[in-house]
Amino acid sequence: MNGTTRDRLMLAIAIVMAAIYLFPLYWMYVTTLKSGSEVFATPPSFWPASPQWSTYAFVWESRNMGRYLWNSLVIAFGSVALISVLGVGCAYVLARYRNAWVDVGLFLILMLQVLPASLMITPIFVGFSQLGMLEYPRLAVIIAIAAKSMPFFVVLVRATFMSVPQELEEAALVDGNSRIGAFFSIVLPLARNGILVSALLIFMQAFGEFVYSKSIIQAAELQPASVGLNSFMGPNTNEWNNIMAYATMYVTPILAIFVLLQRRIVSGLTSGALK
Amino acid sequence: MKSLFSSMRDGLGFDIALVAFALGFLLLMSGLPLVYNVVMSFQEVDMFSLGTFSRPFVGLRNYIDLFAQPETYPILLNTLIFVVGSIAGQFLIGFGLALFFWVNFPGASWLRGLFLVSWVMPGLVVGAIWNWILSGDFGVLNFILRETGLIDANIFWRSDPDYSLYAVIIANIWLGTSFNMILLSVGLSGIPGDLYEAAELDGANAWQRFWTITLPMMRSTIGAIIALGLIFTLQQFDLFAAITSGGPNNASNVTQYWAWELSFRQYDFGKGATVSVVMIVFVMIAAMVYVRSTRHEVRG
Repeated sequence: MNGTTRDRLMLAIAIVMAAIYLFPLYWMYVTTLKSGSEVFATPPSFWPASPQWSTYAFVWESRNMGRYLWNSLVIAFGSVALISVLGVGCAYVLARYRNAWVDVGLFLILMLQVLPASLMITPIFVGFSQLGMLEYPRLAVIIAIAAKSMPFFVVLVRATFMSVPQELEEAALVDGNSRIGAFFSIVLPLARNGILVSALLIFMQAFGEFVYSKSIIQAAELQPASVGLNSFMGPNTNEWNNIMAYATMYVTPILAIFVLLQRRIVSGLTSGALK
Repeated sequence: MKSLFSSMRDGLGFDIALVAFALGFLLLMSGLPLVYNVVMSFQEVDMFSLGTFSRPFVGLRNYIDLFAQPETYPILLNTLIFVVGSIAGQFLIGFGLALFFWVNFPGASWLRGLFLVSWVMPGLVVGAIWNWILSGDFGVLNFILRETGLIDANIFWRSDPDYSLYAVIIANIWLGTSFNMILLSVGLSGIPGDLYEAAELDGANAWQRFWTITLPMMRSTIGAIIALGLIFTLQQFDLFAAITSGGPNNASNVTQYWAWELSFRQYDFGKGATVSVVMIVFVMIAAMVYVRSTRHEVRG
């Protein structure tokens, strides 16, 4: 078997495996295009008989999706902004020094990273309600998400800063820059791509966040799309084509961003988790 | 004052200020709740005492009550099954895929990255899709299993107490496999190729090469990934909310969902805090294993 045949065979097997793995996604999309009765056909059809595109408009209107997605965006952007402001500087310093204090800081950060949200929500909710923070539920959720996701961001961005040669910053200092000047004009631009990818990962996490929003935000007008999806799925629901349409409209933007920036996202992710 | 200012601008003060802001926020918003959680687990906290700080201390009563409850041990057992089942499935399938994609062929890295969509999707959406796939009468999984002759009658994944926990495990394996695979791929690509050439010259077959080179060289990566899998599995909440809600009758309930249920469904915040404290101890142990196995890499 020569090289080309082997390559083609491997590629074919790989595509089949990817198709099997991604079948749930296909099933989501195909269900949205089925009519109410076709959804429950036995045997199920793997291709819609007559695609029902109007399902999307119907679900968008009837479930008020614009409002839910807007709230998700507010929460996601707010979390990313807060995390970036606090996390970038911290990651920069932790990348710049190698000593016992940095090890202690990293250890603390890694330990705080692992606390499950569903276990932390009890003290956070009680504390927030005592401070009156529940009056501003979306802000409360943003703060809670920031506390949860910032360690991950710091670890990722720190890996980026480590790859910026320290000599460049030293040269800028010799040329008369202050530390702040060197940070903003030399180090930050060089680390920009890594920071953007990390921020994107945080954004995608916060966009799908559920536990905090579900517990803290009581008013339906302020809830994000994840909570909206949860309340759409009753225990005995039978509008699966509508639910899948909701899920499709919620998740497709994320999937599109991911597929476009896949290489960067994957390399950014792996640099943080293992290195 | 002047020296403090110039240190902020030019020296160590600048660095310390940057770290102090971030760590201060983290300690305030994660560290303090952690302590508060322990305090609440010794108190009686319900809807009425929620707003006040002077709540009755009850000593160890929450803990004693917790372990006297009939559902506690089944839920702990469920958590164990969920963790072991999810990690085993994610790791084994992920390792298999990583080994396959390790063979270099055109398009391999792009296709491999594509698998990660399962991991970037919101957990609620993954749960909704699997809820539909696992549906009893009209679910496509039952259809496929019937057609291939693996089952005779439909399995009611979500409502049959014998299967509901496994319904969530299946969804969680799907969700986490890709992440395992990507990290294992990174580990595999770090093994120097000449080790294999040398082994091949010595006449080692593929099986022997796997056991004597691949596995030993991957030891720290595997340790980190299993610890990370444990951490992620114990964080999994969305799938329970979307597929079974812990039901029927707690058959698929696990501690991280139960803690939330106690607080936000039964409004027994003291009990919820107690379950949380018990679980956080476990998570911390897993985190220490993870930090240890990546430590040399963290210091870089």
